[in-house]
Amino acid sequence: MTEIHPAGQVIESEFASVAVKLDETGNSVRLRVEDLRTGRVRFLDALELESLVWLADGHLTQLLDPSHERWRG
Amino acid sequence: MTAVVPSPSDVEVEVREGGSRYDRLIQPARVHGTLYTDPSIFAEELRKIWHKTWVFVGHESEVPQPNDYVRKQLADQDVVMTRDKEGEVHLLINRCAHRGLQVCDDKAGNSSSFRCPYHGWTYRNTGELLGYPYNKGYGGKNKLELGMGKVARVASYQGFVFGSLAAEGQSLEDHLGAAKGEIDRLVGLSPEGKVSLDAGWLRHKTRSNWKFLAENETDGYHPQFVHGSIFGVTGSPIGALYSDNSTAVTRNLGDGHSENDLRPEFRGFAEPMRWFGTTPERVSNYVEAMNEAYGEDAERRMIEGAPHVMIFPNLFIAEIQVFNIQPVAVGECVQYATAVQFDGGRELNQRMVSQSIGSVGPAGMLLADDTEMYERNQRGVEMADPEWLDVRRGLLRESVDENGFTIGSATDETGMRGFWNHYKSLMTAPDEGHED
Amino acid sequence: MSVMTEKTGDAVLPPRPDNGTELLDVPDGWEAREVEQFLYREARLADENDYDGWEALWTDDAIYWVPVDGEGDHPRATVSIIFDNRNRISTRMKQVKTGKRYAQAPPSNLRRIIGNVELLGGRANAEGGVDIEIGANVLAFESRPRGNTLWGGRTTYRLRRVDGQIRLAYKKVVLVDNEQAVPTLGFLI
Repeated sequence: MTEIHPAGQVIESEFASVAVKLDETGNSVRLRVEDLRTGRVRFLDALELESLVWLADGHLTQLLDPSHERWRG
Repeated sequence: MTAVVPSPSDVEVEVREGGSRYDRLIQPARVHGTLYTDPSIFAEELRKIWHKTWVFVGHESEVPQPNDYVRKQLADQDVVMTRDKEGEVHLLINRCAHRGLQVCDDKAGNSSSFRCPYHGWTYRNTGELLGYPYNKGYGGKNKLELGMGKVARVASYQGFVFGSLAAEGQSLEDHLGAAKGEIDRLVGLSPEGKVSLDAGWLRHKTRSNWKFLAENETDGYHPQFVHGSIFGVTGSPIGALYSDNSTAVTRNLGDGHSENDLRPEFRGFAEPMRWFGTTPERVSNYVEAMNEAYGEDAERRMIEGAPHVMIFPNLFIAEIQVFNIQPVAVGECVQYATAVQFDGGRELNQRMVSQSIGSVGPAGMLLADDTEMYERNQRGVEMADPEWLDVRRGLLRESVDENGFTIGSATDETGMRGFWNHYKSLMTAPDEGHED
Repeated sequence: MSVMTEKTGDAVLPPRPDNGTELLDVPDGWEAREVEQFLYREARLADENDYDGWEALWTDDAIYWVPVDGEGDHPRATVSIIFDNRNRISTRMKQVKTGKRYAQAPPSNLRRIIGNVELLGGRANAEGGVDIEIGANVLAFESRPRGNTLWGGRTTYRLRRVDGQIRLAYKKVVLVDNEQAVPTLGFLI
């Protein structure tokens, strides 16, 4: 589901809400991703995005473990 | 000192046993033509000056965002200026640690990491090797202590980024010395105390030795001749600033730096913004912002204007333009030029772009003529006789100002002599080679 | 953590002169042959350093633009090799006519070929009319004491009829090598 938001297109579920948009303030275009629940922002450049695409499902799943980074304990 | 123009023979220097050839080639009142034409001297300059001292490379505003990068030149080195995700600026040498390929090809971009197109070796934008494909061939991940080359020392002053390829040496602030105050003067004309160099760069190929440019930048003797054509048709008052009637002074700032200090003239007129060729009424938003930022001191800043300073070896601030001079070969260099942009001074910024386009670069109504002179000068010094170039103008009327700097009149060669003193000190320093 | 900053202080800019307005259809009343003849005349006047004749071709709202870095960024916000309005063209001509514009004294010896001429469309002008927009390639051979230089580029022209005469309202020259350092460009490209 998408709606208009100043931070970009919103990608949302019952578990998370993020906005994405192309950012052109740098020397080449980046993806700006904002966690709308905390306001935390991350920019992803083309090589990082390509790397995400090639991330094995298992590795991506590991990132979803809440103790992996954010709630490391 | 007697008021007699010293002749070169009076100031002939005895070359002591084991003395450097530069003691003979660089004398107080004259310098030898081979300094501009001898490829072996150029090779020695790369080693003793360009690969050693602080060299201006670019400006932080060219990489405004985290992970921005831009390709730059440091003499013969292709350099990538990056801003890492923490905001720190790095100067990487654009060379893969694997086979030596150029890693970055685009002029500018935004990326946290760089991947060499040859075999996929990938580096952080700090130069550190992140990884390589099919890592078993190296015994696994993280097995190589390699990285992209780095300019050994990087430092910036008021956003101007300098690099030194020598791991050790004086600090940037020590190198800039008295020239720091001139950079401060420039940024002090921004209501936010900050300039940006984000208006792009003109690249002017110049078939001349780089030193002709460094010497000319604060030569107040040439403007009425080289630029008489444009001063005449535009009715420009600039010519008068560089005459024998002018109260402006040429100052040897030490460490090879020099300036044409036009403040005495502008203080005499006491008209804010005259230095910019305008009046406060025509740029009222800027004037208001300056008054708000600096209170009573704003008027002085707007009367005295921007500096005209040559910072050794390659940064020339010409009031509203910045030049980055980079040598290519003994008889060739490139002048990179841009318009200064004052943060918080948008009313002036478009004017500075427009004036810069008119003045500088390959078709500039000022710089194309300077460049013609540099190129004719290069052909001239390739002639056999006379072997010397004369730099004695004003020697007999130099004095020392209240801060201990040697000053000459507006048209004197005081700046050139300062340049050569410093040049000689670097070129006669013991050749340490590159071990360390 | 990422730093969020926005570029600030961008002054309001007029539309880009090259593509800031819509490209319309080729206006009526233009023949390819007469357009080409005009371009060749303009080229000859420039080659032969006929400054008065060349300057007289321009309209009062002239734009003469030689960008850097391909098509260039907005010419009021970034530097170009040349970005002249009518006044600055006039200043440039007055300077060179002093005979002491050393970058052009003595003048370059020049000959250029204009080719691949295409009628591209029309652009609305400030006078309420539509200028014809033309694209062409240029290859110019310049000889000076410093040596010979070959200049190549793509030129976009806009022409207008003023009192029955064809006049030049706009000329943008994108040099093939404008991403590199180029030598002094003292002549009229």
